[in-house]
Amino acid sequence: MNVVWILVPPLVAALLVGIRTPRTWVPAITVASCLIVLAFAGRIAWVVAAGGSVTDRLGPAWANWVAVDGLSALILLLIALVATTAAIYSIGYLAHEELVPVKLRLYHANYNLFVFSMLAIPLIAEPTLVWIVVELTTLASALLVSFGNTREALEAAWKYVILSLMGAGFALFGFLVLFAAMHATGGGSYTWAGLAAAAPRMPPLLMQTAFLLVLIGLGTKVGLVPMHTWLPDAHSQAPSPVCALLSGIETTSILYVILRFFPIMQSVPGAHAETWAVVLGLISVGTAAFLLLQVHDYKRLFAFSTVEHMGVMLTAVGLGASAHYGAMQQIVSHAVTKSFCFFAAGAVLLSTGTREIAAVRGLIGRAPAAGAALVLGGLGITGAPPLAIFLSEFTILKAGLATGQYVATGLLAIFIVIAFFGVMVHVNRMVFGAPDSDQPGTAPGGGAASSRLPFSCALALVLGAVPVVVLGVYIPAPLHALMQHAAAALAR
Amino acid sequence: MSESTRQLVENLNALAAGLFLLASFGIVAMRQARGCLMLFILQSLLLAASAALLGLRFDSGHLFGVALVNLITKPIVVPWLLRKVAPAGLYTRREVDQVLNIPTTLLIALALSIGAYFLGVPLANAVGPEYRGPNVSIGIAGLLLGAFTLTVRREALPLLIGLLAMENGAFLAGILLAHDLSMLVELAIATDGLIIVFIVGVLVRAVAKQVGTTAVGDLASLKEGGGHAVPGAGR
Amino acid sequence: MTDRIIFNLVQVLVVLGFAPLVSGVTTRLKEMIQSKRGPSILQPYRDLWKLFHKDEIVSEDSSWIFRFTPYLVFVAPIFVALLIPVLTSYPLFFAFMGDMLGGGFVLALAGFFATLAAIDTANPYGAIGASRTRMVGFLAEPVFMIVFFTVSFVAGSTIPYIVQQKWVTPIANFFAPSHVLLVLAFLMLILAEGGRIPVDSPTGHFELAMIDESKSLEYSGRGFALMKWGGQMKFFVLLCIFLNVLVTPWGLASGHTLGAVLLAIPLVLLKIFGMVLVLVVIESSFAKLRLFRISEFLGAAFITSVAAMIAQVFIG
Repeated sequence: MNVVWILVPPLVAALLVGIRTPRTWVPAITVASCLIVLAFAGRIAWVVAAGGSVTDRLGPAWANWVAVDGLSALILLLIALVATTAAIYSIGYLAHEELVPVKLRLYHANYNLFVFSMLAIPLIAEPTLVWIVVELTTLASALLVSFGNTREALEAAWKYVILSLMGAGFALFGFLVLFAAMHATGGGSYTWAGLAAAAPRMPPLLMQTAFLLVLIGLGTKVGLVPMHTWLPDAHSQAPSPVCALLSGIETTSILYVILRFFPIMQSVPGAHAETWAVVLGLISVGTAAFLLLQVHDYKRLFAFSTVEHMGVMLTAVGLGASAHYGAMQQIVSHAVTKSFCFFAAGAVLLSTGTREIAAVRGLIGRAPAAGAALVLGGLGITGAPPLAIFLSEFTILKAGLATGQYVATGLLAIFIVIAFFGVMVHVNRMVFGAPDSDQPGTAPGGGAASSRLPFSCALALVLGAVPVVVLGVYIPAPLHALMQHAAAALAR
Repeated sequence: MSESTRQLVENLNALAAGLFLLASFGIVAMRQARGCLMLFILQSLLLAASAALLGLRFDSGHLFGVALVNLITKPIVVPWLLRKVAPAGLYTRREVDQVLNIPTTLLIALALSIGAYFLGVPLANAVGPEYRGPNVSIGIAGLLLGAFTLTVRREALPLLIGLLAMENGAFLAGILLAHDLSMLVELAIATDGLIIVFIVGVLVRAVAKQVGTTAVGDLASLKEGGGHAVPGAGR
Repeated sequence: MTDRIIFNLVQVLVVLGFAPLVSGVTTRLKEMIQSKRGPSILQPYRDLWKLFHKDEIVSEDSSWIFRFTPYLVFVAPIFVALLIPVLTSYPLFFAFMGDMLGGGFVLALAGFFATLAAIDTANPYGAIGASRTRMVGFLAEPVFMIVFFTVSFVAGSTIPYIVQQKWVTPIANFFAPSHVLLVLAFLMLILAEGGRIPVDSPTGHFELAMIDESKSLEYSGRGFALMKWGGQMKFFVLLCIFLNVLVTPWGLASGHTLGAVLLAIPLVLLKIFGMVLVLVVIESSFAKLRLFRISEFLGAAFITSVAAMIAQVFIG
């Protein structure tokens, strides 16, 4: 089995929805391609979790370009998972608004290309090519963000594209410097593994420069503070299933590229990659936690929560080897929970027609399913026990305390608690608050409001809810093994 | 290669790099959108010239390939693509009010390029003792000035060109630092630049149609705390 | 020794004698580009002749500055002509008196007095022109400084005779980025200092839009002739510095005979006329800038000159 085949279904699907296939097939094609990818990713993850290799039968020509280890397999699996549930969710979500066929095809073609570009990130081992597919994720998702074609959506897409590409410009230079550093050691294969092997001989100055450029450049796309300004806009203006992809897994898969630097940087004297990670991570968590309090739009609420969680992951990675398992757990639980959150937010949007927090009150009475989902999502994303994120954040904090990093761990804990209140205050008001007398039940301006949730949305919500709940109390053994492999990939 | 030819080639390369820097300054400050595009084309030509000269200097066919790719994509395909996808009025626009006035902008740009020197020289030295030329420092300056363009401009075309200029800057340094990057990657990066132009062009067209302006930098309705109540606006 | 003094005097005579011709050629070429016939290229000589034979009227309320200034404006370029290579590629007798900076100061002194004199008569247009000239002047000053610094940085000297050799030995130096960028910056300076389009329109007759011309509005007769001649010589001298020192240090006499020096005159004039053609083309293809855009034009010149310096430093 050649792992590269996993990239084919989304490409074929993008092509199929682009040509004149019957209109009703279009969403089904996307779902089918995502299911195939999920099966593929599941198989890869299974093999890797069992300690096997999925690339050993590839020819030597591939070895310089493709590599899959525990970390890659984990990210691949999560991308496939979120892409599948979001594809299912898209069916009902888009059916709701009468789209012209061209728009529908555009959506699905872009969706598949976006999934394709994300899948390529963990697969490819050559850093500059990884940079290119990171660019492709931006470009493929830009038109998804602007899909609503309103002034706000266009503004969000514009900011997204400009800032992400600006970051990518710095990252490109970083990768070129990395290449030069590699070259200065007299060659070797320019892959993540080759870099880790050559790292002790590389000029430290070049390595540091490359690391910082990539951290800042790709950190822009991950949404680290202070480069996060575009993220709440883009992650809230896009259609909800796209938000689920963007927030749930795209940010993480870009963070993956930054994480790839940590094993390399460990053999560079005086690089302090961990310190950078903790500082930048804590700044992100703290800023996001306080900004959460003053959000007016519930999709932005979850978008800011993404900034917070990216900070948590980065901090966890910076806390040292013992927290790496927690970081992996956080990546998994964030992916499943955040995508669920956006499904819930989408359900609320479908039933109320507004994104204003102030305009939504007493949801539990008017749209019980959406209300319940929102509560579960809010609790899940803020780390309430016994849900998935609680377990992962607990693991991280425990590891931080065990290694005696009291300041960083303490700050992280405080910020997480603030974020909990920030999210739950709003969610509580929306779901259980009494309707204001001056607020009409639905928003003015003809937002299509209905209380019936489309079947596929409900299905996606249920599917999405399962891991949020289950992973908080029980981690299957293969997943545990996979996360351990992934954590091991972060150390040299 | 004889000593005097080598010196001539090195000086011509330095000249290309120096004019590249000047073009970067122009891109930051040029009012007319069309002028910006012209400067970008000039900059790309200079990048190609530098790549070719370095190819001569290092006797590297690969760098000639880079020069050729640059020569085809940026000065020819980019304007063609823009004409195809971007709204018609894009070229004729002028930047009426930049974020900063032009002398201030230029002074900051100047400070950035001097900063680039202090970043570039240690980098170039760390790579090795072979000939470095001014490419690394000026490349970093191009990168920073491109990013600076993105922060001071509001009009769509200069913003797009700022992005592409950043890439040009990274490349100008890259052809020296990483002059044996695989051709596949080079081609992929070039294609990527074209996709950027395409996607941004489509976006600008949508903005022009929906909002009625190409001064996309003026779009600022999404922010915290303002309570941007636009009920039912899309999802 | 004596021949060097003679050569030096020949140099001054060339500047004195051919400056009006350059001015006439410029006007004529410009008119021709605009599909007009234009005045004879000897017209500036006739103008000067006529002005010298007219009465001079001096305002009673003006001070000595007003009367003194034309002589200074007339003498300053002559002084500079003693210092710079107009005809020879080796230093002449008086060249020890100053370097390029010194020459710049002498010209600046004349400009300063011209400004004072313009205010002196209390003619409002004079004051407008004076203030505008100062504006252009103090924006051009930093560019001059950076240009000279870069030149001395590259050549290790501000003596024009050393500088001109530096750019062409070896010939690869001619293409050094610092050189090309300096040339660009200095070209922009000449446009600004010479009062040419796009900074100022030398043929404009509308007082409110004038920059340079308005300073001599109050002069008549001999004073006006001196001001005019001085202005033409200043332009000639600037062109000489530009061409002989910075751009094309070829065609100068290297032999120490009078014949060689006299032979250099047509060659230098040829270069200058070529340059004039370039300037005329520039003037005809641009519009005059609005007053407050001049700062941007000179800002561009400044950036160019600094880029020259940066490029030089970057090469190390």
